[in-house]
Amino acid sequence: MIDGQTARLVAIFSMTLTLPWTSRAQQQEETSWEDDDWEEEGLPVEIHGFAEGALAHRVKEDPVQSDDFLLGEARFRLDLSYFSDRVDLEFKGDLIADGVADEIDGDIRLASVTLRTVSWLDVRAGRQVLTWGTGDLVFLNDPFPKDFVSFFIGREDEFLKAPSNSLKLTFYTGPANLDVVWSNFAPDRFITGERLSFFDPEVPGLVSAETMGGPLEPRLPSNDLGELALRLFGNRRGYELAAYGHLGFFKQPVGFDPDEDVATFPPLAVYGGSARGTMLGGITSLEGAYYDSLDDREGTDPNTPNSQLRGLVGHERELFRNFTAALQYYLEWTLDYGNLIASSPWPQYEPPERRHLFTTRLTHRLLQQTLTLSLFVFAAPWDGDGYLKPVVTYNWTDSLTVAGGANILLGPDPTFFGQLENNSSIFARVRYSF
Amino acid sequence: MISRAALSFIALALMATPGRAAQDLTDVEEIVERANLAAYYVGDDGRAEARMTITDQGGGERIRQFTVLRRDHADGGDQDYVVLFSRPADVRNTVFLVNKHVGKDDDRWLYLPDLDLVKRIASADKRTSFVGSHFFYEDGSGRGIEEDEHELIETTEDFYIVKNTPKDKGSVEFSHWTVSIDKETFIPSKMEYVDETGAIYRRIEALEVSEIGGHPTVTKMKVSDLRTGGYTVAEFRDVQYDLGIPEDVFTERTLRNPPRQWFSSR
Repeated sequence: MIDGQTARLVAIFSMTLTLPWTSRAQQQEETSWEDDDWEEEGLPVEIHGFAEGALAHRVKEDPVQSDDFLLGEARFRLDLSYFSDRVDLEFKGDLIADGVADEIDGDIRLASVTLRTVSWLDVRAGRQVLTWGTGDLVFLNDPFPKDFVSFFIGREDEFLKAPSNSLKLTFYTGPANLDVVWSNFAPDRFITGERLSFFDPEVPGLVSAETMGGPLEPRLPSNDLGELALRLFGNRRGYELAAYGHLGFFKQPVGFDPDEDVATFPPLAVYGGSARGTMLGGITSLEGAYYDSLDDREGTDPNTPNSQLRGLVGHERELFRNFTAALQYYLEWTLDYGNLIASSPWPQYEPPERRHLFTTRLTHRLLQQTLTLSLFVFAAPWDGDGYLKPVVTYNWTDSLTVAGGANILLGPDPTFFGQLENNSSIFARVRYSF
Repeated sequence: MISRAALSFIALALMATPGRAAQDLTDVEEIVERANLAAYYVGDDGRAEARMTITDQGGGERIRQFTVLRRDHADGGDQDYVVLFSRPADVRNTVFLVNKHVGKDDDRWLYLPDLDLVKRIASADKRTSFVGSHFFYEDGSGRGIEEDEHELIETTEDFYIVKNTPKDKGSVEFSHWTVSIDKETFIPSKMEYVDETGAIYRRIEALEVSEIGGHPTVTKMKVSDLRTGGYTVAEFRDVQYDLGIPEDVFTERTLRNPPRQWFSSR
């Protein structure tokens, strides 16, 4: 049974599939370089990019989504850069032919200028992806926008982080260094009901853009002063220590304005710290954060999240050659829980006071590191939900990478991963980089 | 006492002018130490552009191109390395930082630019492939000389042949390895790794040695996996020593924002 849309998707996909092969012949020519050809750039601007085809298909029927494809897109990236001693100019932009949303879309991932003018200060201004903290796919003190939709539907890992328009100043004093990041508010690329369905306690049940009559459209914060993020960091004999601060908003639409019947991004302050170093035969990390929900400090407002304490312990080691294993334990402790339950219109659907989450990442690299088998598992044993992401990646040549895998979400409905169970899928990607 | 002092003076003079050494060295520890310094500790710091061509058993070729900076804390002691990749396209601008410690595990970081992610790498095994090549991490930064027992098994016209037997057999894949050390320059010219059956299964050869800033420097080397037939050739160019690279180039700052002045050729 091939319907019109499936056919269109397959067409897009096969187009991108053929592209690498035509380019491959060209590449083989390139590798027969003369002895003194180190591929020096003749131009001051370096031009790179990739073409990628990606497909993801549901593994089970979702009663609230009519499209069985989660992903069917051809993506073309242009990557331009100019590097000099004191100034870097960088641009990365994607053009996406999206067969699921049925549109041509653009996404500027990077458009920045970097200045190294004095020894004690680096400046990076413009659109950029920002990351800090010690968690692996678990974020405590990293306030920068994420894109879990891309992650759950099978796009490449780099799309887990979304760009923001920011000014980043890094002050270097030697023993302790300070990052100051001011950003325009950029929310996470959150689940809107398009592609991925989710649990709505008001129904109660699973909803999607189709059942809601359109995607979730929260109200952006009216305060346009932007957000501030700080990181004080240093390295003491191999131990990386950091303190963090963030003043801004929740990045997910976790608030609700009952008067206007709209989801909101409530104000938030975060304070935390982390340490990471070589310990117990591997890399051990420790991170903690206090989420101060500024509009609901008593926890009595059911439409605004309560404050939370979050903690993370992680350990990673190479178990044998080319095989690494990592474990994390993550705790999310909701404060003033009694007030939350007392005021909640649906206390039976509220997450537990303490959510315990374990993660495992196993990575095995084979065939001279051209084949990578990886498995990431989230498990919340007390809540009964979990998430598995097995991925096989093969570097066919330096330019051509193929990947396949699955996003398997499990658990009962109101739980974090369980509500996404019907969105479980398998995916495949082909990327030609140049 | 006087004769002893005179002897030490002669020994020092010989060390300072290896080219004129009329007499062969017989102390294997001295030979190994001087080879270690000649191979890994030239100058107080250095930079080089490197290109590795990886050929697999099927004849498929892959390229890894990068600029490497090095800074020594002390000769024969701790060192820092930072590597900025330029090829292939999908690892371009990835940065790799090593704080090498003699006698304990190194600290290693990897910066992934697309995610702006500084990843710490568990580094228990130094005998794993460096970026998919046939070189191991340890080949690049030097195997700790205290990790093996050394035995001078032969002195030829041009080379000292030293047999190295690991103190901790469980930590390595070889039963021993031999190295041919150039008597004049102390450059390790050939290394062969021998397995339990006595077969040589891995070989590293210096294919070209050039004089750079008065220092003999390997500018082309090859590592062969004799079991699979795969091999990697590494070529180095724009090699420079004693540039005065500041200490803070070997920190998180460079991972996130590489100071181009040290990486671009001048």
